[in-house]
Amino acid sequence: MTRWWIRPLVRLVAALLLPVAVPAILTLLIWALPGDPASIICPPETCGGSAGLAERWHLDDGPMGFFRHWAAGALHGDFGRSWRMLQGVEVGELLAEAVPTTLVLLALAGVPVGLGVVGAVTGRLPAKADPLFHVLGLMPSIVLGLAAAALVQLEFGAGAFDGSARWARLVGGALVLAFSDGALAGAVTGTRGLFSAEARQRYVGIAVLRGETVLSNTLPNVAPALVGQLRARVLHLLSGAVIVEALLEINGLGDLLWGGTIWQDFGVVLAAATAFAVLSAALLVVQAVAEVLVALHVRRAPAVGAE
Amino acid sequence: MSGAGRRFSRWPSGLLAAAGFGALLVFAAFAPEFLPDPDPSRAWQGPGEMPPFGADDRGRSLWVYATQGASILAWPALLAGFVVALLAVFGGVVRATGAARLDGWVQGMGEVVGALPRMVVVLVVALIVPADSRSLYPLAVTWALLAAPGAMDEAAAVAERLGGSRFVEALRAHGYSAARIFLLHIVGYNLRPVVVRQAAEVSMQVVFLELALSYLALAGDRPSLTHADSVMSWAGLLSQGYTWLVIDMESGHALALGLGLIALVTGASLAVSHAARAR
Repeated sequence: MTRWWIRPLVRLVAALLLPVAVPAILTLLIWALPGDPASIICPPETCGGSAGLAERWHLDDGPMGFFRHWAAGALHGDFGRSWRMLQGVEVGELLAEAVPTTLVLLALAGVPVGLGVVGAVTGRLPAKADPLFHVLGLMPSIVLGLAAAALVQLEFGAGAFDGSARWARLVGGALVLAFSDGALAGAVTGTRGLFSAEARQRYVGIAVLRGETVLSNTLPNVAPALVGQLRARVLHLLSGAVIVEALLEINGLGDLLWGGTIWQDFGVVLAAATAFAVLSAALLVVQAVAEVLVALHVRRAPAVGAE
Repeated sequence: MSGAGRRFSRWPSGLLAAAGFGALLVFAAFAPEFLPDPDPSRAWQGPGEMPPFGADDRGRSLWVYATQGASILAWPALLAGFVVALLAVFGGVVRATGAARLDGWVQGMGEVVGALPRMVVVLVVALIVPADSRSLYPLAVTWALLAAPGAMDEAAAVAERLGGSRFVEALRAHGYSAARIFLLHIVGYNLRPVVVRQAAEVSMQVVFLELALSYLALAGDRPSLTHADSVMSWAGLLSQGYTWLVIDMESGHALALGLGLIALVTGASLAVSHAARAR
């Protein structure tokens, strides 16, 4: 009980380390592989000689030198240029376009998931509906995503990416994210499970007899677990966003990471993975702050009037 | 229903699961090493004209897609399920032994491993695997390791509800051996439903992962991250079938086969979870 601050503190430390650790590990992995890093990143048959490339990309300074140079640039918003996917284009520009798009996609996907969570908490979504959500959740994102992509393509054409077509892709992608791979089903059943287990506690029964509501008693106690579950759901959506964005050709962070991977563009992958790490770190901070607030609320002595 | 009756009621699910996974392994076993030569005169022939599944846009049998696709994913998916099952058992047993320090480390590691979106880690692993040795195995194992903390957590919660170390002490007091307590009572009777369900789900997720990665590679006209170019994944069926959806090509049978294979894997996964459920 006296060490309630350990978990939030660990999360905050993890949140600070994550955006540094991810690019650092990626860099080390490239050097850990057998062979010359410049040749691994861009084979000589594709990029010509590797000595010039190594110098241009600061690969000749070793992993520490490369990482120092990259991190110093990244802190000022300079993520270098794409090496293979869109040769010569500033990765920072790609990120500036991709991150807001992914955040919009996540926000849209969060609407049905959030409604599901609220419905489960308030009981407006009956437990009888859970099997339906479960069946819907069995659909893989690739299948629902293909259906959404086909609908968008039939309605707007394959090459339409602006205006209504852009929003159709975003809304379609958000619905796919929310309903496929058990995202909504997990959110609804997970939340319902948390609250129903807590509602069976004896103190809740006594509180109800005193005329208090179940929710006002259970919420403070399940809040840390609920926030943890919600973070896991957002991570789940972020993970799914890679597939959905690539399928529906939404210019988001997931599409950027996918493009970087499939084109073996280390510069793009490094930046995109770091952006994902920053988003994950932000989620950790939110969870830590929520845990601290709940802990302070629970420990606050009830006001008792003087006799 | 009596215990024997309940056990009997699980038989259909068990048989269905065995049939589903058996079909997958049989498909994999019959996979030819290379794609057959194209025969344009047989392009898009239906299952009636070219049994059992019809032909693709180049007149090649879709049977090859089904078998080669199964050979890409069957064993990696099963391996991923096995890894998750093993780690879930570990998580449950650690909680049951009451080893608080180890349990804390396990939970801490789970938090760290689960801090990043899984697909990001999988794609980073795919990036560093040399192009000439690409396979689903490293991605499947990575996915399993990333999914393991959730499974370990759930198994640990089951062990805790059981009474944790007090349950073990109680059985020891009855004179049971450690092997009987942990293997039979904790893992066999209590952790089994969770462990099997988690393993089946992760196996299914690995299949979907392969489909998604291969489809996107095909759509981008790039080499696959999960298999050699001489082999066709089930994603090829979806890719061929997609043309039926958007430009009305005669490839509906390819889409039906692709969706059917996905349903087979999903059904087998559900059936195995149902067969292993608690009494």
